[in-house]
Amino acid sequence: MRGRIFSVEEFGIFDGDGIRTTVFLKGCPLRCSWCHSPEGQRCETEYLRSPNGCLNCGKCLDAGETAIGRRVLCEASIAACPRNLVRVCGEDVTSEELAARVLKNADILRAVGGGVTFSGGEPTMQYDFLMEMLEILEGKVHRAVETTGYIDEDRFARLLGKTDLVLYDLKLMDGTLHKKYTGVDNAVILANYRRMAKSPLRFITRVPLIPGVTDTEENLDAICAFLGENAVSYVELLPYNRLAGSKYKLCGRQYRPDFDETRTVNIDLEKFERHHIKAVRL
Amino acid sequence: MTDRVARFLEFHRKREYRSDRREVTYPKVEAGRFRQAAADFAETVKAERPVLYKDDLFGFNRSVRNVCDYNIQYELNNFTPDYGWALTNGLESVRQMLIGRREEAPSDRKEFFTGAIEHIDAVYAIADQYREYAREQGNEMLYGALCVVPRLAAADYYQALVFMKLLIYTMRASNVYHVTLGRFDQYMYPFFERSRSGGASREQLAELTQLFFISLNLDTDLYHGVQLGDNGQSMVLGGRTAVCADVYNALSDLIMDCCLELCLIDPKINLRVDHNTPRERYVKGSEMTAKGLGFPQYCNDDVVIPGLVKLGYRYEDACEYAVAACWEFIIPAEGYDIPNIVTMNFPLAVRRATVCSLPQCDTFGQFMMCVKQSVFDFFEQLKIEAAGKRAEFAKTPNPFVSLFLRGCRRSGSDITELGARYNNDGIHGLGIAPAVDALAAIKKMVFDEKEVDKVELIDALQNNFRSYDALRSALLRCPKMGNNDDETNSICDELLNFFATIVNNTPNSAGGVFRAGTGGPQDYVYMAQDVGATADGRLAGQPYPSSFSPSIGVKTDGPLSVIKSFTRFDMTQIINGGPLTLELHSNVFRNHIGVDKVADLVRAFILLKGHQLQLNSVSREKLLDAQAHPEQYPDLIVRVWGWSGYFCELDTAFRNHIIARTEYTV
Repeated sequence: MRGRIFSVEEFGIFDGDGIRTTVFLKGCPLRCSWCHSPEGQRCETEYLRSPNGCLNCGKCLDAGETAIGRRVLCEASIAACPRNLVRVCGEDVTSEELAARVLKNADILRAVGGGVTFSGGEPTMQYDFLMEMLEILEGKVHRAVETTGYIDEDRFARLLGKTDLVLYDLKLMDGTLHKKYTGVDNAVILANYRRMAKSPLRFITRVPLIPGVTDTEENLDAICAFLGENAVSYVELLPYNRLAGSKYKLCGRQYRPDFDETRTVNIDLEKFERHHIKAVRL
Repeated sequence: MTDRVARFLEFHRKREYRSDRREVTYPKVEAGRFRQAAADFAETVKAERPVLYKDDLFGFNRSVRNVCDYNIQYELNNFTPDYGWALTNGLESVRQMLIGRREEAPSDRKEFFTGAIEHIDAVYAIADQYREYAREQGNEMLYGALCVVPRLAAADYYQALVFMKLLIYTMRASNVYHVTLGRFDQYMYPFFERSRSGGASREQLAELTQLFFISLNLDTDLYHGVQLGDNGQSMVLGGRTAVCADVYNALSDLIMDCCLELCLIDPKINLRVDHNTPRERYVKGSEMTAKGLGFPQYCNDDVVIPGLVKLGYRYEDACEYAVAACWEFIIPAEGYDIPNIVTMNFPLAVRRATVCSLPQCDTFGQFMMCVKQSVFDFFEQLKIEAAGKRAEFAKTPNPFVSLFLRGCRRSGSDITELGARYNNDGIHGLGIAPAVDALAAIKKMVFDEKEVDKVELIDALQNNFRSYDALRSALLRCPKMGNNDDETNSICDELLNFFATIVNNTPNSAGGVFRAGTGGPQDYVYMAQDVGATADGRLAGQPYPSSFSPSIGVKTDGPLSVIKSFTRFDMTQIINGGPLTLELHSNVFRNHIGVDKVADLVRAFILLKGHQLQLNSVSREKLLDAQAHPEQYPDLIVRVWGWSGYFCELDTAFRNHIIARTEYTV
């Protein structure tokens, strides 16, 4: 089976236990306002042009295609760029090829207690491919899946039986706000979380701290209460990084966050402590 | 750190004292061949005045910028003296021994002993100046120590440190540059232990160590190297003995902690490790890397020791190895190897073969034969160059410095008379990755896919790719070393095997042998400047990577693939020295999770039998800002090629090189 990835990164150190090789699967059902990997959102293959060193010579577009009345980059643009600045984002690989790629460093990963993490985008968008990958890698290397939790409940239940670790994002507890900032409702996310918490599988909860959005007192209180209900005592916090917008230019898009990104992030470790939850800032 | 250490550190940071030194015009003294070095040093001592800064417990600081060096033709450098022997004997017993041997020596050898004795007398003169000055200043500690050393053996840790400072000062002022500190934790340990069992607390011992380390930084602006900071003060910690016992001790650990706190460029720490090294030690090393110091540099005993044995070093001696100023493996007290005598410029050798022979080759195999011929011819040239340097070197004997080599001491002969046990010559292997990349590109584009005509490629190289944009772009997309792919791996194997075969154990002009290495000091900028465009897509004059690392601008799959690529060759065959350098973004180190995982990465490198590794914690944004506003970053430290220096004190070419290296982020 073939899947579409947009990056394989070695030396993932904040993506689970030990050193991880992180596979980024393309496509995501969410459109988080703060997303720092916009190139992973669309399912389609895209061509990216690095603005650093660009001569604005136009050769890439001359070699490009016309789509909806305007010139866009295509495969031929890569060779056309004299600076080698155009690259493809979205590579179609077979599960065997991808397995060989991540396993080429399996000896290091095993030696240091690391493994492979599937991230995205939202990796479960390519559900069958993901499940096949997890199956191929079973027993060969430690497997983790990083997810938004926005996935059909039955499918999620089956996924839990196929991986060694889940990294699960909790963003906003209020459904309306969740819809506003990510584009989707959170009911299924919370339901899947409850199911996972009851299962014997190891998981790590991660909360992105977005100024004025997810780091508010109300939201953090609600998250603490929710973690408490699910008997969870460990959480990883990911404070907003001002570099989040840097990749939008690559995709020919503009970064327009609908929150004030200059505000200081509220990293309230004590709040979690009061709820007997150990919070670690990544 | 204690208040005294903090004050002394602040004093050094301001660097104001550096403007106080005088410049002196020395009289030209003519002494005999073996007495000249002592005579010059005596002149330097005469011009010097004691300088003892507030909070300074060691003195032996320079009051004069220049030393007497009229007669120097070739400076001794990059060796590790037998400090332990001097510290445990004291110079007076040595002096008496020399007087005795002079009596017995044939008339034409007497001058050698006289030279050594006169040099010791000059050491006494400067030591006595300081002793009296310390007494006048009420510095009881230094006065007390100088009543014992250097004439007598050091009785405790402090006295040994004072003795060390005097020896380093003496070597530097005797025209030895890049005199390294060697296995400090080993030869100092008996004195450290004596003080500890005598009741000194860890805090007191740490304070002495830190004050000593700060004092090592004071005069480094006068210790010339290629760049400021390239001063040779490398120190080796840990390692294993001939029976595989781990010798990392309480002093080694204290030194690591002291350096972590001080954040200075000297001493530059090298950590000897192997497959048995506990993980905590890598974690401590990574904490140091996280501070941005550019060290420790890791050396793998599992590879270095067998590699040195293959080059003819006795196993017991190989187990004692230290590093030269940067990374060349040398044997303290036994070797006067010149590990950096000449440099094999690999991309140039490949370019010559391309331009001269490519059109006549029908297969890539044939072309590789031409490349090997080119490397071979280059080596023939280098042998002549090395012999010329050895002949220069023979013109400036130094009997005093020779005493610090066991072989010279035993036979009563000078370093320049090859009195040391080992007199080998190291050949740097410069630009291995770009050379392999160029070969991989030629294989793919010219032979496998036949996309490029041979003559066209040569024309492109000779025109620096002018109006060959598309070709250059295609060459840049060819396989590059660092991704652990079969193409570059097999070419790398072939090239390095050949290099090792022709170089290793070939006799040099000093009765020793040549040693093949993977290093490239300043040459990755300077030598690359004169090399035209190369088939990897590199433009004329562009720098090579530093030592054994992926080419500049190459996007690799990541640090794991890089480690795999640079550890898979049998590095025991190519062990002159020269590390893989990894640049990690400072972001990686933002919390202890990151520090721990860098420790794992280093451990993986060692388990995979990599020979040597150095890591930089950098942030491109910060470096660019420092480039624009140097005055705001006086303390920003970077790893350059085999040493750590202050970013703002480097020449622009070296600053740019560091900025251009790939940084791995998360």
